[in-house]
Amino acid sequence: MFSKIAGFELRYQLASPTFIAVFAIFFLLTFLGVAIENVSVGGNSSANINSPLQLMINIALFSLIGGFMPAVFLASGVIRDKSFKTQELFFSRPIKEREFLLGRFTGGFIATVLCFASVPLAFLIGSFMPWLDQELIGPTNLGWYLYLYATLGLVNMWVVGSVLFTVANFTRSMTGVMIGFVLLLILYVVGSLIASSEPELRETLALIDPFGLNTIGEVTRYWTTFEYNSQVIAFEGLYMANRFLWIGIGLALLALNLLTFRFRTGSSGKSKKKAQAAVSGPKSAISDLALPRMQPSFSGATSRQQFLARVGFEVKGVVLNLAFFILLALALFNTVPGFFLGNGIYGTDNYPVTRVMMNIIGGAYAIFPIVIVIYYASELIWRERRFGFHEITDATPTPSWVFVTAKFVAMIAIIVALSLVAIVSAVLSQLAMGYTVFEFDQYFIRGMMELVIPTTLVAALAIFLQVLMNNRWLGIAAMLIFFVFSLVSGQMGLDHNLYLYGSSPGAPYSDMNGYGHFLGISVWFSLYWSFWALLLMVLAYQLWSRGALTPITSRLRRIFVGLTPATASLALIAVVGAGATGSWIFLNTNIRNEYISGPDQRALAAEYERTYWHLVDEPQPTVTDTAYEVDIYPDERRYTATGQYTVQNKTDVAIETVWISYGQGTTVLSQDLTGATLASEDERFLLYSFELDQPLAPGESLDFAFSVENANPGFRNSGNVVTVNYNGTFFNNFQSMPSMGIDTNRRLTDRSQRRQEGLEPVDRAFPLEDEHRHYENPITQSDYVTFRSIVSTSSDQIAIAPGYLERQWEEDGRRYFEYVMDRPILNFYSWMSADYTVAEREVDGVNLQVFYHEPHHWNVERMLEASADSLAYFSDNLSPYQYRQFRILEFPAYQTFAQAFPNTIPYSEGIGFIGDLRDPDDIDYVYYVTAHEAAHQWWAHQVMGANVQGSTMLIETFAQYSALMVMREEYGEDAMRRFLKFELDSYLGGRGSEAIEEQPLYRVENQQYIHYRKGSVIMYALQDYLGEETVNRVMRRLIDERAYSSEPYATTLDFLRILREEAGPEWEGVIHDFFERIVLFDLQVTEATASEREDGRWDVAIEVEARKFSADGEGRQTEEEIDYLIDIGVFNRDLEGAITGSDHVLYMEKHQINETTMRFEFIVDEEPEYVGIDPYNKLVDRNSDDNLSRVTIQ
Amino acid sequence: MLELSGLTKTYGNQVRALDGVSLSIPKGMFGLLGPNGAGKSSLMRTIATLQAPDQGKLTFGDIDILKDPQALRSTLGYLPQDFGVYPRMSARAMLDHLAVLKGLSDAKARKQVVETLLEQTNLAQHAKKAVASYSGGMRQRFGIAQALLGDPQLIIVDEPTAGLDPEERNRFHNLLSEIGENVVVILSTHIVEDVSDLCPNMAILDKGQIVNKGAPQDLIDSLNGQVWGKIIDKSELAGLRDRYQIISERLTMGRVRIHVLADSDPGDGFEATAPDLEDVYFATIRAGYRAAA
Repeated sequence: MFSKIAGFELRYQLASPTFIAVFAIFFLLTFLGVAIENVSVGGNSSANINSPLQLMINIALFSLIGGFMPAVFLASGVIRDKSFKTQELFFSRPIKEREFLLGRFTGGFIATVLCFASVPLAFLIGSFMPWLDQELIGPTNLGWYLYLYATLGLVNMWVVGSVLFTVANFTRSMTGVMIGFVLLLILYVVGSLIASSEPELRETLALIDPFGLNTIGEVTRYWTTFEYNSQVIAFEGLYMANRFLWIGIGLALLALNLLTFRFRTGSSGKSKKKAQAAVSGPKSAISDLALPRMQPSFSGATSRQQFLARVGFEVKGVVLNLAFFILLALALFNTVPGFFLGNGIYGTDNYPVTRVMMNIIGGAYAIFPIVIVIYYASELIWRERRFGFHEITDATPTPSWVFVTAKFVAMIAIIVALSLVAIVSAVLSQLAMGYTVFEFDQYFIRGMMELVIPTTLVAALAIFLQVLMNNRWLGIAAMLIFFVFSLVSGQMGLDHNLYLYGSSPGAPYSDMNGYGHFLGISVWFSLYWSFWALLLMVLAYQLWSRGALTPITSRLRRIFVGLTPATASLALIAVVGAGATGSWIFLNTNIRNEYISGPDQRALAAEYERTYWHLVDEPQPTVTDTAYEVDIYPDERRYTATGQYTVQNKTDVAIETVWISYGQGTTVLSQDLTGATLASEDERFLLYSFELDQPLAPGESLDFAFSVENANPGFRNSGNVVTVNYNGTFFNNFQSMPSMGIDTNRRLTDRSQRRQEGLEPVDRAFPLEDEHRHYENPITQSDYVTFRSIVSTSSDQIAIAPGYLERQWEEDGRRYFEYVMDRPILNFYSWMSADYTVAEREVDGVNLQVFYHEPHHWNVERMLEASADSLAYFSDNLSPYQYRQFRILEFPAYQTFAQAFPNTIPYSEGIGFIGDLRDPDDIDYVYYVTAHEAAHQWWAHQVMGANVQGSTMLIETFAQYSALMVMREEYGEDAMRRFLKFELDSYLGGRGSEAIEEQPLYRVENQQYIHYRKGSVIMYALQDYLGEETVNRVMRRLIDERAYSSEPYATTLDFLRILREEAGPEWEGVIHDFFERIVLFDLQVTEATASEREDGRWDVAIEVEARKFSADGEGRQTEEEIDYLIDIGVFNRDLEGAITGSDHVLYMEKHQINETTMRFEFIVDEEPEYVGIDPYNKLVDRNSDDNLSRVTIQ
Repeated sequence: MLELSGLTKTYGNQVRALDGVSLSIPKGMFGLLGPNGAGKSSLMRTIATLQAPDQGKLTFGDIDILKDPQALRSTLGYLPQDFGVYPRMSARAMLDHLAVLKGLSDAKARKQVVETLLEQTNLAQHAKKAVASYSGGMRQRFGIAQALLGDPQLIIVDEPTAGLDPEERNRFHNLLSEIGENVVVILSTHIVEDVSDLCPNMAILDKGQIVNKGAPQDLIDSLNGQVWGKIIDKSELAGLRDRYQIISERLTMGRVRIHVLADSDPGDGFEATAPDLEDVYFATIRAGYRAAA
């Protein structure tokens, strides 16, 4: 009997169109993701297209979305009988309940299993497509497919299936099932959100994630490209535990179902009610009341009344429904934790400023109203029909517009309510965090522009498609197709907002600049799309089937015939309005600005390279002196600049042709090279050449004068300029100031983009040994230059450029500032202008200033202290500070970084300024960032790396080192552990995203995870071994040798030479491993015991396992013999949270570790709680969590 | 009052639901009788403006229904053959909402109408309960209550008594006949008693065509002397079917009573029987099938 039921169920499911459709959809999605380069699923650019990692990601992600397979095939097995009203039929037959249930489950599960096979199958077939880049195709191992399909895909289907089957069985409601499914998704989403902000919870979350996604994320966290391509996640440890846990939960649920299942559950409650209602009733057959008489009226007022009644009715229909509140709860559940956790840096929260709260709402919450709208559009449009009430309402004299419009307005009401809920929850969260600067105007305006209007536009489309399709599911499917299309259209080159329904250019918000020029852009696009939405609503009205559903052809014929004066004029308003606003947008995006689609942009870059790259090493003069007059017009978001350069021939050949480049978006007003005539001009690429009347002999100089404008008229389709603002202008000289030679930044560097354009891959950096490049600057095409600039701005703002303020005056209602730098600087600098408040302090003859946005006052003092501490430490230990002044300047959060120019540090409002440092246990990253930027006054502005590999080690790694030393002075040794763990984690995680190959530190090719993150860890360990003073002596010597040197610039070879001299031969192994190789450790405590001695002290015994590996650039690891001095420590508490003092340290010494397993015994004074090998995580350890272990007391 | 002429409706799958239906329906109750699938509901929906015919004309008084459906809707009460209800909505609230949709805009008067109708249909004491929890009969009464909102001049009730117990049906008939005194009421049904009890005029619809129409008594009279009955054993039935035009077979106490149609006494033990409306109905329908066969 069981097999018959299971067989019946399986045949029933397989034969259903749903099975075929779901199989086809998943096959197609996976296939496209694999076989089309532009479409990728959670991609990792470095791994092979068909790597086991990609296969795993595909199976994992599709099993997440694919949760609706079991929802359909399994849950429907229980619910079907109720909805088809066949349950009595079935339940009354002599079938044993358990056999019935188990049979249904088995049949449905087999259908699910077969359906999900679409994913690995499509991946396999997709990876064999001949057009794929064969470079990125690895070997095919069918074992991987089966293994991942079984342990990941099928287990997930089992988990979701058993959970939803249970929900279905107990609730007998498809809504219940869908909510169960969404709850499972949320469990995963919240898990990964927490995992990203609370690293110590990662393992727990990895264990309980029902989909195993956090689990595989945790296990493969530090994998390298080599590992991605060559191995699958092993069935052991966390992964095995997670899988068995959920298989077990599934089995338990199934058992629960079998034990409790009884036929006819679920419907008994209702029938009782019906019976009660039926018994009553009057006995007299003929009533004697008069028939009611009331003439209906049909005025406009009646229609309005009907309209309001309908809106109320529809809103109630949605809102007075448990499902709505569950969705709302889910949305809040997904959002509110983000208010508290989601915006920190190094685990330190930001102040919950309204800007950040709205950003979080936009990121985590906004998707829910859209889902709700799509779902409820189908629900509302089909509501009357679904309940079988439409013939009654449709036969009433209420005009059709009332029905259609009421549904739309009800949606808007719901959208507004949902937006309000998000905003109220944000305000309450701010209150809960003790933040009371409420910006209700920002909530209102951004709530309208970012939540209400975009969602309303979606609602209009959803309603239109529902009406057009005349079928609920087709309507939803059409919406899904619309969303998929909007996701991929950009990759196909269709990226103009004028034809992508509801889209508009990004409109970031900044506290400094408010809405800036972006609000206007948003308003235009909102208007434009609102007119389209109006047209859609008129069409929906025209196509509306009143009474019986009519086929589309006959309704389309009616579209124009049925136009009334009212609808016709609405349609006309919509068309004219869309036309007018669309024309205005087109004028701005395509005429006042140039519109170039993404692929065209790429092709242009390739063309530039093909046309001009042969000139890249052509001898060109070098800029030696600069003087600018810059006029910034914040209100018009433009600036003009005139300038004089002196350019010198530093090469050893005579120069006949001089090439001059300007950045994109520049208007060149005039340019004049003494003794030269303009020979060619390429306006498209802003590249000009001058022929010299007399060739410029080596050592000779020329004058170059220019005048440019950066105008930013109107607005663009995308990439609206964020550097020139109403308040908070911040641009550098690469934007519009001329440079000698061709513009090397225009070249495509991404390997896959280059392949698509048929270009050979390029190296990221020149080889370290290329001595010719030791005389080149990697950032600018010139060396140290003199600098002076007059800069003017509006009367309410302060304008800043590097240098010292020489003069300041007002003229024609504008403010003028003249800055002069008294020593040569790198030819890279910025101009800024904003309405600033200034905090100031004088320390050791240096003027410290912070220019900030008045409301962001919280950390200004801290920045001044960090600046003073940093300048003091660096002056004492490295070399004197070369300037008399140190200025920090806030700029809008359109970009999130801080950057060091001579005596000038632009610092984004998004970091530091809003950091909430009130909890002293949090990492003071404001102090760190400030120290890092201060250190750049040495590393970059005193010692500059040459244009070869390793140059960013000299700049960024040394700035990290310097900052770490200042931080340690301030916060102590124990506080560094947490910071270094963040750094180690970022480094190890960053390795997996390496696109080409990991370099050892001394050859770093501008790879951030190496020069910042690995750099921190390595330099901290280095000074731990050699002593801070030795390392600082090396630094001092390097500065002595190479400060302000451009002939040559410094290289890591210089550093390593000095380091070896200072350290002595006993550290050769460490230096070689740290800088010239990729070396990783795996250190762990395997056993730790302690017992109390008679004298009250304690014997501690520790067993450790220590391994050392070297890795190649792809991440292929080889174990080698270990022989290292490594810390062994004993503590009276967990080091987690032990950040001040050293009372908790009972023992801490370096021991020579030269065997894989070693045993140590100590006597300590107090009862030990924890022991560790490298407990402070100074070495690069792939598993830094097992270094510390709790002690077993004997 | 209500004039139908040449109404034709073909569905996509080539099924002719209405095939040139012409009728003239006066004030009072009008019965539309026909087997399941005859096109009754199509015709009802067409008159109720819910479905446009492919061809034909349709007027009610001065109203051209096809050109101005809105005008008809304002004077229409319609009880569809099968209707559902919204969950969790009480009869009173639902009725009030529908009253607004029908154009009863004055709140006070509307409230009175709703209450009177609830009384009238004996639902007053259940008015707070969700309609979804009503029994079949109560739900039909709710249906008629909503159809009566707004003083309609044309009331269409489609298969209203299906599924009602005899008492409920009886009560429903009384309600209808009261209403039918001043307005046009079209009662569509496949139950002959509904029509014979209530309707001064009727028509029989079969396969989309009007196959017979008139006053019930006239139609019955037209069969005078043509209906012959006999009680037989089941086993004889097959043989008799070939020989006689049997219009009805009915089991009674284990035997079968048959009516045959014949101009003269067929002998064979048949007795002359006074025709009733059921005989008219079956004779008409059977004739249609025979003609088609």
